[in-house]
Amino acid sequence: MIYETPRFYPAGDRYIEVELGNEMSFDLNIAVHALAAAIRAADLPGVIELIPEMASMQISYDADRMSFADVCREVEQLYALSSGAGDIELDSRLINIPILYFDPWTEACIADYRSRVTDKTEDPELLCALNNLAGRSHLKRLHAAPEYWVAALGFWPGLCSLMPLDPRSRIVAPKYNPPRSWTPKGAIGIGGAITCIYPDRTPGGYQIFARTPVPIWDREQKLPAFRDNLALFRPGDRVRFIPIERDEYDYIEAKVSEGRYVHSVVDYQKFSMANYRTWLRKLEHAA
Amino acid sequence: MSSRPFFEVVEPGLETCVQELPGRIGHWEQGFPPSGPADAWSFRLANLLVGNDRDAAALECQFLGPSLRFLADGVIAMTGAEMMPRLDGAAVALWQSLPVRAGQVLATGGGRTGARMYIAFAGGIDTPKVLGSRATFHMAGVGGVEGFAIKAGQVLPVGETAGPVMAQQILPAMRPPIETGKIVSVEVVAGPNDDWLGDAGAAGFLAANWTVLAQSNRTGMRLKGPSIAFAPRAYDKLPEHGQDPANILDHGYPVGGINIAGQTPIILLQDAPSTGGFINPFTVPSAALWKLGQIRPGQQIRFTPVTLDDAHEMRRRQDLICTASQALGPL
Repeated sequence: MIYETPRFYPAGDRYIEVELGNEMSFDLNIAVHALAAAIRAADLPGVIELIPEMASMQISYDADRMSFADVCREVEQLYALSSGAGDIELDSRLINIPILYFDPWTEACIADYRSRVTDKTEDPELLCALNNLAGRSHLKRLHAAPEYWVAALGFWPGLCSLMPLDPRSRIVAPKYNPPRSWTPKGAIGIGGAITCIYPDRTPGGYQIFARTPVPIWDREQKLPAFRDNLALFRPGDRVRFIPIERDEYDYIEAKVSEGRYVHSVVDYQKFSMANYRTWLRKLEHAA
Repeated sequence: MSSRPFFEVVEPGLETCVQELPGRIGHWEQGFPPSGPADAWSFRLANLLVGNDRDAAALECQFLGPSLRFLADGVIAMTGAEMMPRLDGAAVALWQSLPVRAGQVLATGGGRTGARMYIAFAGGIDTPKVLGSRATFHMAGVGGVEGFAIKAGQVLPVGETAGPVMAQQILPAMRPPIETGKIVSVEVVAGPNDDWLGDAGAAGFLAANWTVLAQSNRTGMRLKGPSIAFAPRAYDKLPEHGQDPANILDHGYPVGGINIAGQTPIILLQDAPSTGGFINPFTVPSAALWKLGQIRPGQQIRFTPVTLDDAHEMRRRQDLICTASQALGPL
């Protein structure tokens, strides 16, 4: 459910957890981002930074400049203003990410897990079976079709949680049990109804089936996209996966290593919640 | 502002790293934690002793300190855990300013009391800022010296000093009282997710002694103790919250949060993940975080509940102590 009014919980003397609801839904997540945008625009004197998440956000504040009660009251008022009309418009960049589906590196990672840990169904086949898909080409077509919404970031620098904006492309999967001890950098995975891109070689639990040669964070800031930042995505961005073949993968990878790759970022669009809801209704009628 | 090479690392010690306050602020939503010193109280006192801004970049030594060779004359100060420092072989004291000359070698050993010692340098360490801070986040290789803890052979620069540094000490009453006994009392504020434990679960948690495990670092402090009981809502929840009673829909992780990872409490420290799917029923307030920075594996924590107002008062008191007029006295 989405709560009538935000719920505030102190997290020590410097942080506040603000819950707007308790479900994983696009409507709730966009309410979180609309509230985050409203708080930033209001530039409240004691508010230091925000971590927007699926259904909640964490506010860092300076209680010597603004009390817990004052932060809560201001945020509650901003929420009443930001959530009412349903015509939320947010700046939203579109970022194109080239990916090679069913690449040799995730295949090798899955094979390694199956031989050392447990003989699970291979990840692409598991995704097909659980989502009634005809096979790998169907999975690829369905996964590459929609734009994805950057619902949240975190846990590891740059790690993103992506929700498909087209409900017809919703693909679900359980997480690995036990988790993988390693995942190739740039692997694409699905856990629950969320797609993620692994920013680095890290442990993981999502079902993996593709890989991008494009870095989504870079501590050395070699590429132009990282000149002002170390991580590519911001909450509220959109992502489109562009299927590529092995020759293009190798070409892009070479450009990345030469420091000459320019990320494909489209930065003139807004995301209109009203237009999006209208489109969802049309889809329902058509179905 | 001119920066000059000030010391060379002879032995790096155990993950000795550059830290700075307030840490890396403004990039948490992208997954970059604040970092900063584990014991901010000792850290600030070290800076005051050498005439720096109290938040200036300094070295954090963990359990086993470094050896440094000075390349120029200057003033340094050490605070926090007693690591038996020697300057050219002669024992030197913590909690006071210490003039050093070019060519002298500062050697330190293993911590006797506490876990972390701080070394501040007049002028402050002047390594490049990454995302607005010099603080080291070495899990991901951000900040510090080329992203990581210091290594043998590296030369670190300091910035310009404000003026001559007087011979001075931290008044004994203003030093953090590092607990050397078996049990350390650590304050906690209820929330954000104390309602997931309920009254019985919370009472059981607060009544226990929690042993600090060796698998602890700057991301988190792992604890071992009795099993944790949950409220009915931890079981009766929507599937997206996860299967374990301690699972919750992914949310932000506060520094100081006591994160219930299944049945293992992990206190989230300065380099902790920004978000995740476990509850945080209690949070250690900012003014008590320094205690976690000085606890050694094998010691036990007893949590003491305080109100949010108490936590704010503790922070204001500590903030006042960490000022030159309150903390410093003649040597």
